[in-house]
Amino acid sequence: MSESYLKKENLTKLIEAFTGGGGVFIAPTVEDRQIFYRPVSTGEEITFDYIVPKNSHKEILFPQTEVVANYRIGKDAVDVEGVEIDPPETVFFGIRPCDAASVASLRSVFTWDFIDTYYTKREEKTLFIGVACTIADDSCFCTTVGVTPDGSEGSDLLLKETEGGNYIVEVVTERGGEFVKRFDDIFTGPAPGGAVDGMKPIVDVPVLEGVNREKIHDFLKNTDHYENNALWGEMARKCMGCGACTFGCPTCHCFDIIDEGTAFGGERRKNWDACQFDFFTTHAGGGHNPRDTQYKRWRNRFMCKFNYYPNKFTSKGCVGCGRCIRVCPVRLDITEVMEDISQQ
Amino acid sequence: MEKALQDKARELLEAGDVKVVIGYGWNKRKTQTTPVFITDPADVERLVFNPLCVNNLSLYLTRQYKDIQALGKPAIVAKGCDIRTIAVLIAEGQVARDGIVIIGAVCNGVVYRQELWKGELTPEIMPTKCHNCDVRNPHIADHIVGDPVDFQPPDDPSGMVYDKIGALDGQEDGDRWSFWMEHFERCVKCYACSKICPLCYCERCIVEKNMPQWIETSAHARGNLAWNLTRAMHLAGRCTFCGECERACPVDIPLNLVNQKLALTIDDAFEYKSGYDENEHPPLIVYSPDDEENFIK
Repeated sequence: MSESYLKKENLTKLIEAFTGGGGVFIAPTVEDRQIFYRPVSTGEEITFDYIVPKNSHKEILFPQTEVVANYRIGKDAVDVEGVEIDPPETVFFGIRPCDAASVASLRSVFTWDFIDTYYTKREEKTLFIGVACTIADDSCFCTTVGVTPDGSEGSDLLLKETEGGNYIVEVVTERGGEFVKRFDDIFTGPAPGGAVDGMKPIVDVPVLEGVNREKIHDFLKNTDHYENNALWGEMARKCMGCGACTFGCPTCHCFDIIDEGTAFGGERRKNWDACQFDFFTTHAGGGHNPRDTQYKRWRNRFMCKFNYYPNKFTSKGCVGCGRCIRVCPVRLDITEVMEDISQQ
Repeated sequence: MEKALQDKARELLEAGDVKVVIGYGWNKRKTQTTPVFITDPADVERLVFNPLCVNNLSLYLTRQYKDIQALGKPAIVAKGCDIRTIAVLIAEGQVARDGIVIIGAVCNGVVYRQELWKGELTPEIMPTKCHNCDVRNPHIADHIVGDPVDFQPPDDPSGMVYDKIGALDGQEDGDRWSFWMEHFERCVKCYACSKICPLCYCERCIVEKNMPQWIETSAHARGNLAWNLTRAMHLAGRCTFCGECERACPVDIPLNLVNQKLALTIDDAFEYKSGYDENEHPPLIVYSPDDEENFIK
């Protein structure tokens, strides 16, 4: 793990050098009073005062909507033409350790029983520059699910802020090392001139005492508890099925394939879907819906993250970024449910 | 006032007719309020009422919440703005007036978003609807908690939402179009706006019909415009400006602007404001022989 140094004032130079070659540089920026990850062209557009932006890298690796095929309906046949994507080289700057840990989660599901090239081609072209956390809020719970505010998993480079407002750069992967070499006039050696620009303290995110992960694991494994309607009904009664949690979550990955067009042709698209939507589990043909009330759908979300997903993959179903808690209009707090189940 | 609310809730539950009190309670960390469903008289102390009580709880009276209906007859803690929504639900036959007990809460305003609360309710953190409220003393209720207040809203609607509407009205058509397309570009089609709106109660929304797909579900400009305009039109004359759609939107689209513009338009055309009389039907869902025909030239 070698170290170098990046001054914030050189960010514009870095962005211009990278985008000059056709690349896209994505960083947190203020849009209409909120912070989103968007493509930027100068360092001044970047905001550094955030916990996690409203959106995540999921939008880049797995867009909300994309065309996967075009079709034309002729007199005797239907012509279907698959869409091949050629994503540009992308730098994703400012990813937090929680989000970075979730990149592996998306990769697991999109390279599982079918290699989804719409995902893999994008991930191959993306370099993740992580920034360790010096601030947090009470919706953050990374440490409760096994992620740390200075974790390097998922980042190619991990930046740690200094008191002087610059970054100590830790090279995590080979790819990150090549990036630093490519721009070695911008990434300087450790603390230039021997001046000490100390690291800002990493924020302390206390593990939630009321959460016992083993107990949750055991509880969810027991299918009798799955049918314990009274408990889930009570915990999730206020959920109104808006899906905002699902769409903001960096590990949620469900999608729908739909056709849009006229009688003569159109596009086949892959769009985000959410298990929170009423008709997510409606069966074709009969119309039966096994998850016909909202608490059953919310129960699925919890089970998927803490039971089904961990059973299949080593990556995490939940990384504790807290977006679901912040965005929920009725404040259905997943950590409260974790605490309630830990006490069962 | 909280004590009066808790006492009333206990009284109703103990009498046996009301089986659940839908109200506001604290989350575990006591940093934000959240909807609670009290079925046991011993739990009434969980009920609170303060400027963080922003949710429009009338949502839980609507038809799709079958689990809540199964609990039995509800009493609902409602601010004046929430009661306006209940009035429209009654007018549209979704809720029977004698099927619910309304506990009206006298309200001096709430915060625009719970995250803005820093200990004091100042005018800057209150939403526009509070500055123009004429139902701080609940207008339809079975019981009222809180002492009556004397607040006169301005004669003409004023405040941030109306200022912005005025500014948009003054713009050229092309600029207005760009303003909205830029905002709708952010839409991710989560449908949170529709899910939190008590008046979006259709069990199968038009956007969920897929044979054929009338409104595209993709989050591209065309699909987003179709969705947002359709929802606005379906709410025209019905929306009571609770502001929940804008609060729920995860990408901060200023939905109040479009819904309130339509409310002003309906008021101009039909001299109607929704939610004041539970026996009056919103103009776009009825045909009345008295309707003016001055638009036929």
